[in-house]
Amino acid sequence: MDEKRFEDLIRDLPQDFDVPEPPFEEMWRVIESAHFDATVSAQRSRGFARSVPWLAAAATLLIGIGIGRYLPPKSSSAPNAPAPAVAANETPLPADTSAVADAYRYQTSRYLGQAAALLISLPAKDANGKTDATFANKATDLLVTTRLLIDSPAAAQDPKLRSLLEDLELVLVQIARLRTERNRSDLDLIHQAVEQGDVLSRLNSAVATTQSSE
Amino acid sequence: MAGRALYDTHAPRVYSLAYRLSGDAEKAREFTQDTFIRAFSRLSQFRGDAAFSTWLHRITVTVISNARRSEVRIAREVALDEASSIEMSAPEAEPDLKECIARAVEDLTEVYRTTLVMHDMEGYTHAEIAEILGVPEGTCKSRLSAARAQLRVALAAFKE
Repeated sequence: MDEKRFEDLIRDLPQDFDVPEPPFEEMWRVIESAHFDATVSAQRSRGFARSVPWLAAAATLLIGIGIGRYLPPKSSSAPNAPAPAVAANETPLPADTSAVADAYRYQTSRYLGQAAALLISLPAKDANGKTDATFANKATDLLVTTRLLIDSPAAAQDPKLRSLLEDLELVLVQIARLRTERNRSDLDLIHQAVEQGDVLSRLNSAVATTQSSE
Repeated sequence: MAGRALYDTHAPRVYSLAYRLSGDAEKAREFTQDTFIRAFSRLSQFRGDAAFSTWLHRITVTVISNARRSEVRIAREVALDEASSIEMSAPEAEPDLKECIARAVEDLTEVYRTTLVMHDMEGYTHAEIAEILGVPEGTCKSRLSAARAQLRVALAAFKE
């Protein structure tokens, strides 16, 4: 076989070994059932904390500081002051538990607001590299908080919030990649993902809900 | 759902790579599914340092590589078990060129086959292959050159 024939053969390899059309829908159903059901999803989130313990710890510390700042200072009332009256049939909620729940709500609300601001300000067209980097950095920051909130009591008690956080995680991952690769279709894909998941309207609704409960 | 959008965008290329590396539609389907299941469960490990497609294709190559190693190990065990019972088979008919190429590609070592398939069949650039496989671009070029040389030798005896 001469050189020319061999070169032709190499050039024709893609046509000679054509790829058959796969059953994409069927494959997606397998992926969806294997990954996106609640049990597996929960395992995945716990796996994150295990696989990147330092990151989880750092994020916990950050949110902890945020919660700590939000929490009201401990009562400084005099030791001899009378205890507040409690109705006989009412079990008093420990003050710390209530305050922590409030703090989680505050942090969640703050995070959701930041995520909404990022998605709303995302340019419709491919922006310059500097802008990409700004969005990507912000998305990376929010990604850490997203993953922590997925594991938080707030998401555990609210399936809607959890679902929103999981969709946001995927969108933020795509925005984070803008830092290293600029592809004209990237932003379109992100907007498409936001639209398909109805992420913005769910986000706005979640912001309104958490703010009204504060 | 954002996951579906990612799948729709990347599944055709992942499947194509899986099919060309495995040479089998059913295996390619399994490898593609495994790739996305692993990718979605490891999204937390994706830091955005590389393109999402690069990260995804790296998972694909790893999934296929692991499966092939497992197949080779099983095949060796079976071969050892059956070695004593194998009888001489009749000589096969002269294969056609396409079959010869497929066999020659299959006989390449894993790194050569992966590089050749990605570059010459799937159209990846050397830079992309280097990033996916985690090797320098120069290594990728020399692997492709060696793979083609082996292919040329394997096909030299083919009578057109």
